[in-house]
Amino acid sequence: MKLSPRGVWVVLLTAVAVVWLLPLYTMLATSLKTTREIAMGQYVLPPREFAVENYRVALDALRYGLVNSTLVALPATALAVLLGSWAGFFLSRLRFRPAPAIFFLATIATFLPYQIVLIPLTQLLSALHLINTRPGLIVAYLLLTTPMAALITATFFQTVPMELQEAATLDGCGPSTFYWRILVPAARLGIISTAILIFTLVWNEFLIPTAMTQGTLNQLATPVLAGLKGNYAQLWHIQMAGATLTSLPPLVIFVVLGRYFVSGLMAGTLK
Amino acid sequence: MTYTRTHVILFLGPLLLIVVLMYGMMAWTAAVAMDDWVGMAPVWKFAGWNNFHALLTGTLRQRFLTSLRNNLTWLGVFIVPTASLGLLLAYGLDLVGRAERVLRPLFLYPMALSFVVTGTVWAWMYDPDAGVFNDILRSIGLGRWAQPWIADPTLGTFCLIGAAVWQYTGFTMTLYLAAIRDIPREIFEAARVDGATDVNLFRYVVVPNVGHATMIVVAMLILVTLKVFDLVWVMTFGGPGNSTEVLSFFMFVATFRQQFVGIGAAISVVIMVLAIAVVVPYAWWSTRRLPT
Repeated sequence: MKLSPRGVWVVLLTAVAVVWLLPLYTMLATSLKTTREIAMGQYVLPPREFAVENYRVALDALRYGLVNSTLVALPATALAVLLGSWAGFFLSRLRFRPAPAIFFLATIATFLPYQIVLIPLTQLLSALHLINTRPGLIVAYLLLTTPMAALITATFFQTVPMELQEAATLDGCGPSTFYWRILVPAARLGIISTAILIFTLVWNEFLIPTAMTQGTLNQLATPVLAGLKGNYAQLWHIQMAGATLTSLPPLVIFVVLGRYFVSGLMAGTLK
Repeated sequence: MTYTRTHVILFLGPLLLIVVLMYGMMAWTAAVAMDDWVGMAPVWKFAGWNNFHALLTGTLRQRFLTSLRNNLTWLGVFIVPTASLGLLLAYGLDLVGRAERVLRPLFLYPMALSFVVTGTVWAWMYDPDAGVFNDILRSIGLGRWAQPWIADPTLGTFCLIGAAVWQYTGFTMTLYLAAIRDIPREIFEAARVDGATDVNLFRYVVVPNVGHATMIVVAMLILVTLKVFDLVWVMTFGGPGNSTEVLSFFMFVATFRQQFVGIGAAISVVIMVLAIAVVVPYAWWSTRRLPT
């Protein structure tokens, strides 16, 4: 049998995809294996009995972290998208002379590695008595992600037809009414994409909580997961169960809303 | 559409406040870099270039140069494979027709994960005794190729880069796929009629037409190499010794563990200078494309 050229590509890409999924597959498989099975090596084989127990142990350690990450990432995302999209609207849809300059400065603030503001950010939050608290983490993430939300929503808002705005203006519609009643509904897919990108960024972030939180009560999921490596050294099944639990929210979003995930990812580069 | 000053304050105020705060904090970091600040509480004792001097010639020289060299290794070794693999995959996906819908997400999954998750999984895969790679090598009779991987000072950084390539290839693939789809289909069809093979098309149609995407990819990946911190923390904690440390890791340890805040700020300034060289031209370029 001779494969068509297209068939050759399908086989080739499938082979690469299998290799690409190996880390994720072994993570899932190992998270369900018993200590005895782990000890035998053979990591590529599927689990023989499903040791759901591993997840109970991992969840015990990660419980606070997962709840805190949710309580931080959701409000931070909502606020960043709200405040950012106001600015994105102003910068992209209204004739405002300094708009390019603001866009330029916000782009730099978005893409510079945020390590360079970590020291003053910690000082600022200590001065506000917000260090080691969830509101403090929300403020930190809000500062870091709002400029990005402004830029991304601006690129999405640009795609809304100018005629809509002209018609609205003729009907005596002001900026606030236009934003809430026409622009947001018309660009809702872009807003969802932006929110997904920012939520994923915040959920997956590690440096901020590592610098700004201590103890377990206010800790986010990523530092707790990093800590599992020490507390459950060599207990790969527990570590992998923890890794799976931590990746669930972004993975679920990716599976359910993949299209928005991709368009947010692309818009995030200001392509 | 007309607007009043109140509208400017309402809509733009929050962003402007945040942007001003961000630049203020950058200036603050630069100021701290010129201070002899040790300990938790702020110490505003002007020290001129002493911190930079300590990094370049003093006791920290070795550690600083190791971090800088590792960042350069990241720059040299991470970008080319991530970009070219992404481009090849994108070209393949463009050719497979409907199968793309199934195949494409498989490469994108890693992009949804935290570096901490990637680090946890890959640290285990690289484990010298119980790791997946050595296990696979032994089980297919290639046990003599087994390596200490991340436990080896010379291999360490390359292992970390391997994990990052895995995570970011889906990202470059997505950008390149969009760029390939932007090339007019007639060019492909005309070339095919003239008897061009897939390889010809890749060489003479795809590669010359994705320069724009390459610029974005390279800029974004350079920033990834300057930001990298989580993978180092989770997989090696900078070790063995400090062989896999990078600037942002060194900065964090100096500031938050050893409380040499002035030194930490000086390292931040080095990161800032390197990043500005990429970010400012990129911001200039993306702003010029605004319709305003």
